[in-house]
Parts: sequence; structure tokens; C-alpha cells
Amino acid sequence: MARRYDSSTTTFSPEGRLHQVEYAIEAINNAGTCVGILAKDGIVMASERRITSGLLAPAKTSEKTYKLCSHAACNVAGLTADANILIDQARIYAGKNHYVYQDPVPVEELVEHVCNYKQAYTQYGGLRPFGVAFLFAGYDKHHGFQLYQSDPSGNYSGWKATVIGANNQAGKSLLKTEYKEKAPSVQEALMLAVRVLNKTMDGTAASVEKMELFKMTVDDKGKCQHHILTATEAKDVIDSVVAESASAGDS
Amino acid sequence: MSILEYNGAAMIAMAGKNCVGIASDRRLGMQAQTVSCNFQKVFPMGDKLHVGLAGLASDVQTVHQLLEYRLNLYELNEEREMSPQVFSTLLSNVLYSKRFSPYFIEPIVAGLDKDNKPFLSGSDLIGATVIADDFVVAGTCTGNLHGMCETLYKPDMGPDQLFETLAQSLLAATDRDALSGWGGIVHIITAEGIVTRELKGRMD
Repeated sequence: MARRYDSSTTTFSPEGRLHQVEYAIEAINNAGTCVGILAKDGIVMASERRITSGLLAPAKTSEKTYKLCSHAACNVAGLTADANILIDQARIYAGKNHYVYQDPVPVEELVEHVCNYKQAYTQYGGLRPFGVAFLFAGYDKHHGFQLYQSDPSGNYSGWKATVIGANNQAGKSLLKTEYKEKAPSVQEALMLAVRVLNKTMDGTAASVEKMELFKMTVDDKGKCQHHILTATEAKDVIDSVVAESASAGDS
Repeated sequence: MSILEYNGAAMIAMAGKNCVGIASDRRLGMQAQTVSCNFQKVFPMGDKLHVGLAGLASDVQTVHQLLEYRLNLYELNEEREMSPQVFSTLLSNVLYSKRFSPYFIEPIVAGLDKDNKPFLSGSDLIGATVIADDFVVAGTCTGNLHGMCETLYKPDMGPDQLFETLAQSLLAATDRDALSGWGGIVHIITAEGIVTRELKGRMD
């Protein structure tokens, strides 16, 4: 039944659904997991590194985390080629906005711009939607630290903690129980992110090669700091999570 | 009246031993009238790179903001710092793209490349670039500036001697130009960092 209404993005089905958009969202559910957590003094984004071949040359800094401007970064789940187009769009928009107003672009405005661009591919031109979901992390003087999630439909929402990519439902259910009303510190958020990834990557043991940890904080001069944890720092976080769960098992 | 002489400026960039210095005056005028004595014309574009923009003040500010935008985009995409040579080429490209409605500026670029070797370049308003190993000048009194630099310059000066040479050249040259002066500022860039000093000169 759906087949009659699913080949064109711009056609609604009789049930009022856009099937192409839904299929794009399905594509992302096969991608490497990304979890984002809002801490009280920063934002943490952790992602699963899928190493498809030992022959692959290592990426420059990351193939999941991208800096968009001095005060915003994003994590990607889905088709990397599609993501590259949108990331370029975001970087240019943030740069141009800063050029015109000599002020950092408000994070939500940046997110909305990327999402409007994605939405156009669900309504015009007969082109397929972007097969990418993003986690945007940013800081501005209006709303402090913010975490947003966006999907191929061009819809976005702000979150305290969320998961995208493979097994995101399992990750989200863990966050529902473990994310306290009072926001965690960055260190606690890092550990929570590792626990979420452990759950979504169930079976495989947590290790530094398989996880990428990113944190965004603000230094005492008000300047945003983007930091992808080094192998040593990541190992410390993973070890403390393992130690915690081991001792919890004992008691 | 030339549009490049409307606001007034004087600047020098000079190379020393493993260091560069860049100096400018602080005057902003509207022909004869002086409007400001602390107008910024030299802008840091990175840890070891400065650009000085002489000419129409509006274009000085606009071109600086445009260069910052282009540099930031480059560093986001390339994930590395822009070298002074590449920056100088970018500047030339930006200026030539407006070949038939130019930005009325005379830029000079001073920086240290990744081996801490000095880099100096200057160009005209449509992007014709010249790379020098001693000094470059720009502004409304380039005749004076060239004369002073040619006289006082020596190769391989240390940071302190470079500062003295820059300061004396700038002050003497601007003293004989009505449109520039009203204070001065000198930045000395070395591998260790940047030292900035303000000059006390004739405020006329």
C-alpha cells in the first residue's frame, strides 16, 4: 500500500505520512550511535567509532564530531557524505552571521538554518532527503549551554540528554532512569555517556578505539573550549565506569 | 583629493632575526579634522600573524572582518592554522575579486611561518603583492616611511632593537605628515609571543 506513495518525497500518503522521510530516518538507525548530555558546566557528546577496515587511514581529527564555529559543534549519525554538505552550510552560515553582526550566532538560529535547508529537500525539487541526524552542542550568551537533535525531516528539538543512531531506544531508556533532575557535572556526564554507549553497543567491550568522547566547556575568559578526549583521558573515564559497575555488582 | 588619503594612516612592518614587528599610527581623521586618536589599523589574525590595513577607514574595518571570516572558514575546513604566505595570497584574491570596484586599502602582512622565519608582504588596493625580506610600508606618508626605514634598517635585529627602529621610523615619518600620527602602536612577534607597546609622540 505504502509503495504507491513512497517514491516521491513530495507526496503525502493517505495516512498523512511522508514515506521517503521515514525511510531516511531508518537509514540513520543503522549508523554509529551518538549520545549527547547537557551538564551544568558544559556539554558532552560521545559516539561509537565503527572501524570497518584495518586498512582505513585514520581520520584527521574525527569522523563523528565537527566544529561549526567557535561556540558550536555537532555529532553526526548517518550518511557522512550528506553530513559534509550540511556541515559546510552550517559553517558558512555561522561565519557570515558573525561577519554581518560581529556577534556569535545564537545556537538555535544556526540549528534552525540547517534544519530549514533539510526541510526543503522534503518539499521541493524531487530530490531525496538528507540521510543524517545531528546532535548540536553550543553555547551562547542568551541561553547558555544547549543541546539540540535534528533529523532528516528538518525537525529539531532541544534536549537535556538524548541518543541518535543504532539502538537509540535502549540508550534513551537508560538516560530516562539515570539522568537526574539536577544536571550532572561534565565528568559525571562523561561517565554517563560511556554507560549509555556500553548499553547501545551491547556485546562489544568498551574501549578507547571504539568510543570518541567530546566535551564543550567555557573557560574563565568566557571563551568556548572544544575538546576531543585524548586516548589517555578517555581510558580514564572508561576505567572509572568499569570500576564503578564492578563494585556495584559486588554490593 | 584621493579617497585613499581621506582618513590618513602610516604603517611599517619590519623583519628581524626570528622576529617581525608591525607598527601603525592611531589617527582617524576626516580630511583636516581629527576624529579619533586610538583607531585600530593593525589586527591579529592568529598567534603569529598580523595584518595592517591603511586607507579608507570603512574599508579597513570591512576587509578586516571579511578576512577574519575567510580565515575562520579555512581553519574549520583544513583543521590547521593558516600560514602567512597563504594569508597574503587570500588577501590578494579578495582584493582582486573587486578589481572594478575596489576596497580602498593598502594592506601589509607580517608574520612568522611555522619555522618561525619572518614573512612580510605588502600590496596595492587591487591585490598586486610584493614579498620583502626587510620592510614594507603603507599609508599617506610612504615617501617619509621609505626614507626612514632605508636609513635605520639593519638585517638580523633582535626584538628590542627592532622595536626601537620601528618606533623611531614611524614617529619621524608621521611628524612630517599632517594626516597621520596622533600616537603609535608597535607589535613585536617572536616565537615566544607578541609584545605590544604604545608610542608617545606628537599629538598634532
